Amino acid sequence: MAVYKRTYKGYSGGLTPAWSRFLILPRYSFARLFQSKFLLLFFLACYIYPLGCLGYIYLAHNLSFLKAFNVSPNLLKIDGTFFLTFCSFQGAMGYLMTAFVGPSLVSPDLTNNALPLYFCRPFSRAEYVIGRMSVLVYVLSLITWVPGLILFAIQWSLAGWTWAKDNWWIAGGLLVGSAIWIVLLSLIAMAMSAWVKWKVAAGTLIIGIFIAGAGFGAAINSVMRTRYGSLINLSEVIATVWAKLFRVNPTTGIDLFDAWMSLAAACVICLWLLTRKVRAFEVVK
Amino acid sequence: MTPPYGLWWAQIRAVIRLEMKKTFFARRGLWVYLLALAPVLLFMGRAIDLMRVRETRLALATAHPVSAETLQSIDTGMTIDEVIGKLGEPDSRRTFGRRRRGPVVMMSYTDGQDDYTFTFIDDELRDINRRDHPSLQQDSLIYATVFQFFYLRLAIFFGCVGIFMNLFRGELVDKSLHFYLLAPIRREVLVVGKYLAGLIATVVIFTTSTALQLWMLLLPYDASAYLAGAGWHHIAAYLGVTALACLGYGSVFLAAGLLVRNPIIPAATVLLWESLVMFLPAALKKISVIFYLQSLCPVVAPPDRDMNPLLALLVSNAKAPPAAWAITGLVVLTLVILALAGMRARRLEINYGTD
Amino acid sequence: MTAPPPIEQSLVVLDDISRFYGEVLGVNRVTLTIPSGITSLVGPNGSGKTTLMNIITGLVRPTRGSVRILGVTPSEPERLFRLVGYSTQFDSFPKGLTGFQFIYSFLRLFGYDHAECEKLAWKSIERVNLVEAAKRKVAAYSKGMRQRIKLAQALAHDPRVLVLDEPLNGLDPLVRAETIALFRELALEGRHVIVSSHILHEVDMISDQVILLSNGYVVAEGKIQGVRDEIVDHPMEVLIRCNRPAELASKVFHEESVVEARLHADGGGLLIKTRDANRFYRLLNHIALNGIEIESVAPMDDNVNSVYEYLIGGEEPGR
Repeated sequence: MAVYKRTYKGYSGGLTPAWSRFLILPRYSFARLFQSKFLLLFFLACYIYPLGCLGYIYLAHNLSFLKAFNVSPNLLKIDGTFFLTFCSFQGAMGYLMTAFVGPSLVSPDLTNNALPLYFCRPFSRAEYVIGRMSVLVYVLSLITWVPGLILFAIQWSLAGWTWAKDNWWIAGGLLVGSAIWIVLLSLIAMAMSAWVKWKVAAGTLIIGIFIAGAGFGAAINSVMRTRYGSLINLSEVIATVWAKLFRVNPTTGIDLFDAWMSLAAACVICLWLLTRKVRAFEVVK
Repeated sequence: MTPPYGLWWAQIRAVIRLEMKKTFFARRGLWVYLLALAPVLLFMGRAIDLMRVRETRLALATAHPVSAETLQSIDTGMTIDEVIGKLGEPDSRRTFGRRRRGPVVMMSYTDGQDDYTFTFIDDELRDINRRDHPSLQQDSLIYATVFQFFYLRLAIFFGCVGIFMNLFRGELVDKSLHFYLLAPIRREVLVVGKYLAGLIATVVIFTTSTALQLWMLLLPYDASAYLAGAGWHHIAAYLGVTALACLGYGSVFLAAGLLVRNPIIPAATVLLWESLVMFLPAALKKISVIFYLQSLCPVVAPPDRDMNPLLALLVSNAKAPPAAWAITGLVVLTLVILALAGMRARRLEINYGTD
Repeated sequence: MTAPPPIEQSLVVLDDISRFYGEVLGVNRVTLTIPSGITSLVGPNGSGKTTLMNIITGLVRPTRGSVRILGVTPSEPERLFRLVGYSTQFDSFPKGLTGFQFIYSFLRLFGYDHAECEKLAWKSIERVNLVEAAKRKVAAYSKGMRQRIKLAQALAHDPRVLVLDEPLNGLDPLVRAETIALFRELALEGRHVIVSSHILHEVDMISDQVILLSNGYVVAEGKIQGVRDEIVDHPMEVLIRCNRPAELASKVFHEESVVEARLHADGGGLLIKTRDANRFYRLLNHIALNGIEIESVAPMDDNVNSVYEYLIGGEEPGR
């Protein structure tokens, strides 16, 4: 082509910050997510227990109520056990939320061959994974540590600075405990969603990992007469960690170090699965 | 006009042949094999451990013989020296230091059958832990528990979900079902062919697993007396229950794959229902696959000792139906569900865009 | 069930077919009779071609109306699919099969024995020139190869009616020509070959009749020339190559049926638009006898492209 005809010039305007580009992925996911009435209702239902806890905190500080029903103020205690129960319940709701939301993260992109479209652009696999995970992280945060910290703040405001000073570790427990659970659930959901192309199968696997893990763990304990089988029961593993964070005696019988190792192993396996599956191409032999 | 049974049978065999490649020999079915293999590995590990422990105990007992009566004469409150005086040096001795308290000493002995561990705190015997020599009877109960609460409810359940739901719903997702619908085959015959393919795959995989588990269970013992008695009947019963579980669950999940777009909902519903069966009244128990399967198991699983006492109160027991009723009921249930699935298949349309 | 009349047993008959997907129209009130030969379904994306093909083959049931293919309805798949072969638009295959296994396995569903299935499978694979790739997995095939193996699978059981949804998609020019030759061969054997395509000049080349669809309606059907003749809103365009085009123009201007005459860009011919082509051709005979040497007379819009443009092109947005 003659030089004078070469009029093409590349884009020379401003660029968005590189660190924020992964946020493109969740933008449309959120809109799609809450179009489902069932999911919206479930999300709202996740706030029933925190509201109940709020009522409990209020009643615990409402002297006239306590007097009217002859309830000792010491009976309605807001302590580590209270927040551990909160964390456990909301954690269970988070698990169900993951089973609903998780399958639609990577499976549709695999089914519709969309991964090459992402990776033929200046967009790394890590950004893709983080972008997809951020959907779950955001939603799970809204139902775990966010209402938990709000409850802590309300309790602080009612009980005073002394209580907060003595129980600051509860806030830390809420944050750290929720963060661990969110990361674990998100990685499992992403890995299962990447491993199978069918959303329904991914959802079944997400549920199956916990249920089958619990069952097989119990079988190992029963057959081998040990407690190490519980290490593949992720519910018991996280319960051990939470109990430690909230300074409650765990009833699972699992050593804390073993529980951390089990969680780490689960995360590593999920990351390995993601590395294998989230690629721009598929080799057919 | 007489139905062309010969043609239908040839077509069913053709469907089975096609499906075998996808269920038996596909990588995507690997997790079903793992589900079936896991309990085999578990019992294999148990068998190896038992045999190893037995050999170790025998070797220790030969090197340092101590009688069971002598071991049983040891009582709490005795000192370390008194125990050593009666039993001799221990087979193993471990000492743990504790802050602000005296050391903890644990000493182990064996009489060749059972292990005894004596725990001393501040030179005083505080705890005697006796680890019995496992017996085939005890292991049979453990196996019954594992079989009924893990293998049937989880391994076979999820295996059937994976295989049977893929037969139609998975093909719709893969956009390959239309090839079947464009062949001169009655839709009902197609349903039967796919069901039989799934059934053959699951029965082979899971009955093989059951057989291997039972072999591993019996391996550490001299099972000749057991086999001469009720042993073979038990083995046949377990294999039969495994096959019936595949039959029952298979039909449910094949139909679910045809009837609903998101079969996880019926799968989760069935799982929840089957989990709650022990708490349901007798009339409702009859509407579950697991109730009939458990009634056919040769050994009744003992109740869960770790169950919350409140939950234990809610457990309701129902009279197990006779075996003939249970088998007939399952078969009839399967046939009814397959008939419904056939009717649905007749009205099936291909619209991949919505899946 | 009463047997269809003998004439219908050689036709594909669609009677007042409608199909709605909720509120979205797939096809509406389509009544067609498709004889043997190559019939092309032509229309823009979303016009209902694939829906019509799916209805013909029973993959989708019509909301209203009836279909008979050589006297057989889609509710009798055991009979229908011995007569019909369908190559769909879906580019997906059962997993893990080679090209040969794909064709062989589905032939077994017909009830043929192993030897017969092998023979038919190889024959069909040879027809589409995929012998060398037959033992490779279909998942490893190129787009063109996948298209050919689909065609082979549709042909394998020697059907009388072939329904082919965009069969030339992804084929290179050489293979395209071979495939078109194959269609002609099949049509000459008396089969019904129903093809959908966007490649209008190929439709022109191969089709015995066309069916034009737009927004779920049949806009026109029949032989191309017949359809063109009926479009009276658009005068026929004819190119006349001659030695004195300007003089020819002056002679034809007086003719009532001629609405436009302009010189061709290269100066060697005259482009005429006329409302009555036959009358104009008779006039040309007189003109040729008066000394103007006419080298060629060719209709310029007597093809699917022009018919498409006139009937459907005007309905598309932005035109």
